[in-house]
Amino acid sequence: MSNEVQKVFMSQKQRLLYLSSQSTDPKSPAISQALHEPLKGTIVEIDPTKKGIDYESVHDAICDGWRVVHFPDQRGSLEGSEVEIYGYQFILEKMEEYVD
Amino acid sequence: MINVFGKEQMLSDTNHLLSDDQIADFVINGYHIVAPQFQSDFHERVYQELNDLPTNPGDEINKAVPKIDDVYEHPAVHGALTSLLGSDYKRAAHRHCHKNHPGTRSQTWHQDSLNIPTLADGHGRVSDHVQSVLAMYYPQAVTEKMGPTALIPGSHLFTASTDRNASNGNFRDQVVAVVPAGSVLILHYDIWHAGTANTSDQVRYMVKYLFERANESAEPSWNHDPAKDRHIFERLEQDEAAAMQRSLVSKRNYRRTTMWNNIAGKAALKYEYRDKWSGDWPKPNL
Repeated sequence: MSNEVQKVFMSQKQRLLYLSSQSTDPKSPAISQALHEPLKGTIVEIDPTKKGIDYESVHDAICDGWRVVHFPDQRGSLEGSEVEIYGYQFILEKMEEYVD
Repeated sequence: MINVFGKEQMLSDTNHLLSDDQIADFVINGYHIVAPQFQSDFHERVYQELNDLPTNPGDEINKAVPKIDDVYEHPAVHGALTSLLGSDYKRAAHRHCHKNHPGTRSQTWHQDSLNIPTLADGHGRVSDHVQSVLAMYYPQAVTEKMGPTALIPGSHLFTASTDRNASNGNFRDQVVAVVPAGSVLILHYDIWHAGTANTSDQVRYMVKYLFERANESAEPSWNHDPAKDRHIFERLEQDEAAAMQRSLVSKRNYRRTTMWNNIAGKAALKYEYRDKWSGDWPKPNL
């Protein structure tokens, strides 16, 4: 398929990156990540072959072109909560061209 | 002489009991690995017998493949379980064989469910005690492509919501059970774990038994040396397991110490104030 023809079948889709950080500071170390690709049938899987995660921090991901679309709740910590969640979750997006 | 699953059995020696540092490792990380020694083809034969099962026998897996009981009754496994749960620990009725085919996808992070509808708090987590453990036996070597069990060290100290955890993929400090054939991975019941994707061309088996504490400890059921108390206290206060937010660290340390004390009986650690901040001045930032 030529580049011109390929462009006809391409559309912008949203990639989502969930990054949990040690604090609400985007420069604090990231604890976990999950990449949601805009492709049917894909799921977020734990990759046992991977050492570490892709970004050191949310800021590191921003420098790589990701855009924050959800910031963690700043209204209070979860210290008194019965459910204890690791990290403060940021959700980032990157719009990219995909072939339909 | 002790009673193990209805059989009188002599503990060979105290070498199969865990040390203070191994118990501290378990309290801090929530897991311990045992490698019981058997004849070279033992685990291969177990694997074959599992492979020959026409259906999943559920809790009856030990009747379908009796050799599996030999693994859990091995002195090395028994010594570790005694150390963690007391010498009169019990084997629970629930057992399960997980058959992980090539192409099986990853689970999401979870704590195993207790499925007891009468629990008032709905989950029954015990974040400051060792009341029950999961013991996972792998009859074949597990490579990182065969869907190894992944776990988050130290997460047994916290109550998680599986729904909330569904948006997590890889954790920076996760560990995966890439283990030799015959390994038994003993986990605190509340540890966050998941079976990962099997991208190999081999079936991976994991047999899970559940063991429970019968009574509170009057004294440590492991090889305890009171002279190490200070060292253990410092480890429980300082050792890192997996990175987390600062607001959980004090809760984590409190639960570690409480967990140790709950299983140590009269040998509980006593808190004494000490000055941790004296010493060299910080160096200037040049």
